[in-house]
Amino acid sequence: MTLKSMGAKQTVLVVDDEHMSDLMRSVFRRLESEGFNPIAVVPEGPRLTGDDYETHTLFAIENESPVAVLLDVRFGEYDTDRFKGLSILKKIIERDNSMPVLMFTQYARGPYRDTAVTGSLSVGASVDFIDKLASPEEVVLRLRRLIGSAPKTIKIGTLFELEPENAVVYAVNNGRHQIIREIQGMKLAILNELASAMYRSEGEVVPFSRLERFSDGEDSRASLRVRIRELKVSLGKAVARDFGATELIINVRNRGYRLVPPTD
Amino acid sequence: MSERIFSTLKYAGLSLAVLGLGLILLSPLIGEIVTPDMLWWIEPVAYIGSGFFIFGTIVGYMSFKFNRNSQVGRSDGRTWSQVTQDYFDTFAHDMGRPLRRILGKQREARALLNETGEVTHRMVAELLDEIENQAPNFRLMIENVRVLVDLEDQSSTPAVEPVDSAAIVRNVSDRYSPIARERGIDLIWWCEPSEFGLVYGDGSALDHVVTNLVDNATKFAAHQIEIQLTREDKFYSVRVSDDGPGIADSYLAHVFDRGWTPELSARSEKQSSGLGLFIASTLAERCGGDLIVDTYQSNDDKNKNAYTRFTLSLPVDNRS
Repeated sequence: MTLKSMGAKQTVLVVDDEHMSDLMRSVFRRLESEGFNPIAVVPEGPRLTGDDYETHTLFAIENESPVAVLLDVRFGEYDTDRFKGLSILKKIIERDNSMPVLMFTQYARGPYRDTAVTGSLSVGASVDFIDKLASPEEVVLRLRRLIGSAPKTIKIGTLFELEPENAVVYAVNNGRHQIIREIQGMKLAILNELASAMYRSEGEVVPFSRLERFSDGEDSRASLRVRIRELKVSLGKAVARDFGATELIINVRNRGYRLVPPTD
Repeated sequence: MSERIFSTLKYAGLSLAVLGLGLILLSPLIGEIVTPDMLWWIEPVAYIGSGFFIFGTIVGYMSFKFNRNSQVGRSDGRTWSQVTQDYFDTFAHDMGRPLRRILGKQREARALLNETGEVTHRMVAELLDEIENQAPNFRLMIENVRVLVDLEDQSSTPAVEPVDSAAIVRNVSDRYSPIARERGIDLIWWCEPSEFGLVYGDGSALDHVVTNLVDNATKFAAHQIEIQLTREDKFYSVRVSDDGPGIADSYLAHVFDRGWTPELSARSEKQSSGLGLFIASTLAERCGGDLIVDTYQSNDDKNKNAYTRFTLSLPVDNRS
């Protein structure tokens, strides 16, 4: 039995003058449940302008060292601040063009997005746009991809956790983590590939061609099938479950495999 | 396009007016040269010249005026198209405000119910689901109107930029996965080759077409929606398939018609505006590609093996 220590949470800076709205509260909640530490930029004063947000954002980036910034386009009540978010974006990129910025806007497409994209792409910045009506789930997925680096831990439902860096898979039971030692080498590589795809996008199927790199023998497809079966058996044994054909790792006919988080 | 036509007309009108003026001035001379003894030649030449002058002046003036109106929206020199987009963005933002408030309340209520574990009435649960599910509908509707405004603008052309098609398909899949799951539909996607690479085209248009196709599929799928991105030498394709009941032959001819929805024939409540597939098809053609539909309706009661498959084909590189 090995107990797992939880790493420090990654900070995400949220810059939005409506950060106290119900809509934004649901985003905060989701970010927290996904292991992020969301911090809102809150300038103080009676009549705040976009410039106040700009100053405080740049200051917070220096002090909080966030992994990403969630930034609104519109600020304040003044017409001059209608697109202040774009000018804050420009300032952030000028200082650190590797900082991932997810723009929260009504203009997920259209001329203003195009202007901002053109401006940010020219310096190779990591910028994406998302509609403010997007579900918190979608926000987290987009943020993850924007941050890009593989997470320390990928949760596979509530039953398993994978640590790609340490090459370890855990079975989780009542908060206790037990290493599944049977899963190593090619089986671990296959699970890592499937879990990474699931982490990036819920519905992504990993094509056979990508997984067959981790199988051997003359018939690589058959060999892959065997490894997947072994993988399911090992995972099932660790949680006293028998995963059927339509559970955990699903064969999508003629295409590839897909990891589906198991239910309790 | 319209700018070029107005410009040509302007110069043609001006040339005609100058020619007319020349004819008027030279008519006594021309008349004398052509028929020295018959001065009546002067009059027809002068009349023709006057006609040319008046007609040319009118055409030139009108072309100049129309061209200016279509070009300059305000004193800051922005085009009408830019002004329209600007107003539309403001309008879309303001119109989204009430929905953002409703959606926020709904998400807070859902979170509260999850925390307390309180059992809610079926109708309350359905209401919360309905509000969440209508949000992408609203987003798409706003975008459809914005794209329609853009399509009506004759001077607007598709963008040519590096596009990560796989990322766009992934984003659309992420947007619709929760809704599909809520309806008991499995939404999956893949691309071949798995490292798809960049293409050159209009990313917004691709996003918009795929969104419309997936939105459409979530309304009709029974259990599964598949989005497949494949690449060939000069074209790449996005195929959106669903295992819904298929489209009847009598409907198939109207699928891409503006404003047409299947409910129109069934005389039932409309689920959509009937703009999505029209816009998708128009955008595909505008970007140098096409959108086709392939469907099968099963004869048995359970609609086994029935499907609808929309295939969007676009050039890998439309820079040329």
